[in-house]
Amino acid sequence: MHQRRFGVATWKQCLGIVLLVAGVHQPAFAQVDITGLWRPLPRNQDGSGMTGDAAGVPLTPGGQWRAQSWSPEDFDTAEWVCRPHAFDYSLEGPLSQMRVWADVDRPTQKVISYSAHLNQQEQETTIYMDGRPHPPENTLHTWSGFSTGEWDGDVLVVTTTHLKETYIRRSGLMRSDRSVVHTRWRRVGNYLQATSILYDPVNFTESYPRSSMTWIYDPALTESPYPCEEATETAVPRGDVAHFLPGQSPLPGLNPKLADRFGSPPEARLGGPETMYPEYIKKMKTMPRPSGPPAAGVGEGN
Amino acid sequence: MSKLKSRFSAGSRLKFAWLPVVASVAVLGLSEQVFTQAGQRTMWAPRLAGVTPGEIQVLPVQGNVHMLVGAGANITVQTGNDGVLMVDTGTAAMSPKVIAAMRSISGKPLRYIVNTTDRADHTGGNSAIADIGETIPFREANYTAGPQGALDIGRASIISYYTVMHRMSAPTGKAVAAPETGWPDNTYSIAQKRLYFNDEPVVIQHINANSDGNSVVLFRKSDVVSAGDMLDLTGYPIIDLAGGGTIETMVTGLNHLIDIVVPRANAAGGTMVVPGHGRIADHAEVVYYRDMVTIVRDRVQDLIKKGMTLEQVKAARPTRDWDGRYGKDTGDWTTSMFVEAVYQSLKKPA
Repeated sequence: MHQRRFGVATWKQCLGIVLLVAGVHQPAFAQVDITGLWRPLPRNQDGSGMTGDAAGVPLTPGGQWRAQSWSPEDFDTAEWVCRPHAFDYSLEGPLSQMRVWADVDRPTQKVISYSAHLNQQEQETTIYMDGRPHPPENTLHTWSGFSTGEWDGDVLVVTTTHLKETYIRRSGLMRSDRSVVHTRWRRVGNYLQATSILYDPVNFTESYPRSSMTWIYDPALTESPYPCEEATETAVPRGDVAHFLPGQSPLPGLNPKLADRFGSPPEARLGGPETMYPEYIKKMKTMPRPSGPPAAGVGEGN
Repeated sequence: MSKLKSRFSAGSRLKFAWLPVVASVAVLGLSEQVFTQAGQRTMWAPRLAGVTPGEIQVLPVQGNVHMLVGAGANITVQTGNDGVLMVDTGTAAMSPKVIAAMRSISGKPLRYIVNTTDRADHTGGNSAIADIGETIPFREANYTAGPQGALDIGRASIISYYTVMHRMSAPTGKAVAAPETGWPDNTYSIAQKRLYFNDEPVVIQHINANSDGNSVVLFRKSDVVSAGDMLDLTGYPIIDLAGGGTIETMVTGLNHLIDIVVPRANAAGGTMVVPGHGRIADHAEVVYYRDMVTIVRDRVQDLIKKGMTLEQVKAARPTRDWDGRYGKDTGDWTTSMFVEAVYQSLKKPA
């Protein structure tokens, strides 16, 4: 009799534990609501902001050449006037408010996809959560690419393929159309964080992580339209392609006489995988530094 | 019954005391699966479905237009009530697979083939594929009237710019580049040829680009342009110097292509482009490709001005920033051959 009472009690206690622990357990392992309106928070700038500075970016020698032939007039080329910041660049580049919403399958109440709309140049992405495969490799590439997501604990891990070539800094640092981007989204209370890791077999020697993107929940946020009409005439004659011939770039980041706001050695500003790591700081201390003050306009943004 | 009772005797209950704990753990495990909705882990990096060698991949482009990949050059297929129009035919060896792929899109008769160039990876299937088509007769055949009354309607009509016909054929007594049955039978020699087929205007424009015989095909309602080798997203452009192409005509041709490809808002989508090789593209890909070709031209021109020889220009590696994307060291068209073609285009005879 005693044994029987003990058995029932054990079952009841265990049921209670299950309910209690499941309740606590769920947020740790379950999906988190990332939908809503998100206001970007100011953060550390990627790089010194000096135009032509590639420090900290694992550029290949080819990627460095590409950057060193870039001209600011590229943005005035008629065909590129409406080129948007790609979605992955927009997360890191301009401070852009973001709206995230979910598409839920009504019968099963499962999330089919999350979509996000950035105010800046109206870039939009859809993150498919239903396990669908990525499209064949010969299908169209877009500025946002094709994304699938899965939950790793409370972190939404997004894999993006089918990206168009674009800049990672608006001074000629490019990632190719063969890039794959891994983005980890995490909500912490009313904050949303994103860490993106770029893999580009063409222009990067190794993966390039960017981790300072944070937004705060702001239900009063509004977004604006961003219409862009293709430019017919610009300062750059139609058909011209603005660029600098090798060794002739006047960009301040490539001018060894000019200092950035950190007084970095000019060699470091060329970028490359070595410049990503803390060990490089020791090496930088042995390098010659510009003697002059920071050039006018440095730190204007990326 | 007594045996059953004895199984659940007080002593044996102790043995099963762990059952609630196991059940609890199992329920917790299930709760994780239920709430995470996690499917199969995405492979990192995800494998993208390419083309199986020897097979044809059929990809919808936009409107009435599909792209066939895997037969050498890309093939564009437009379908509708009037029949099938095909732009380029791939290699001869792949013709049976191309026909099967076309049939998987439409059972209507093949009426037209348009060749964008004379290269064998674009025209090799002409003979076999045209043979399964039929043209629409403008009158009934009258065999009683002798040869003049007969109609050869048992083939698709092959359209090209006239210089393509010249390159595939040869003067009497000379070896031909392609079998006679694959030669174009419907050539044009002015700026454009126009059809209205499958309820949309089809404009075939001559653009002198990597040869003097390039045609691009505009499907105006579907809003698709079949560009042929003016756009090769797998490599540097094949500049056919002997066939009348130069780096200058290539740049001019790409600028013309940009003019007829209209992007939607924010420089995305809009007119779709079927390239000669590589993935489906839009305005941005054409502009990036134009930028690359133009910058390489400018660099080689600068090196020539500095008095460099061909070997010195090659050693300077003026394409180095795009070699990781477009460069090839082996095959029919290498980086070295491209640089040489650019150099020869720009080098004025002494």
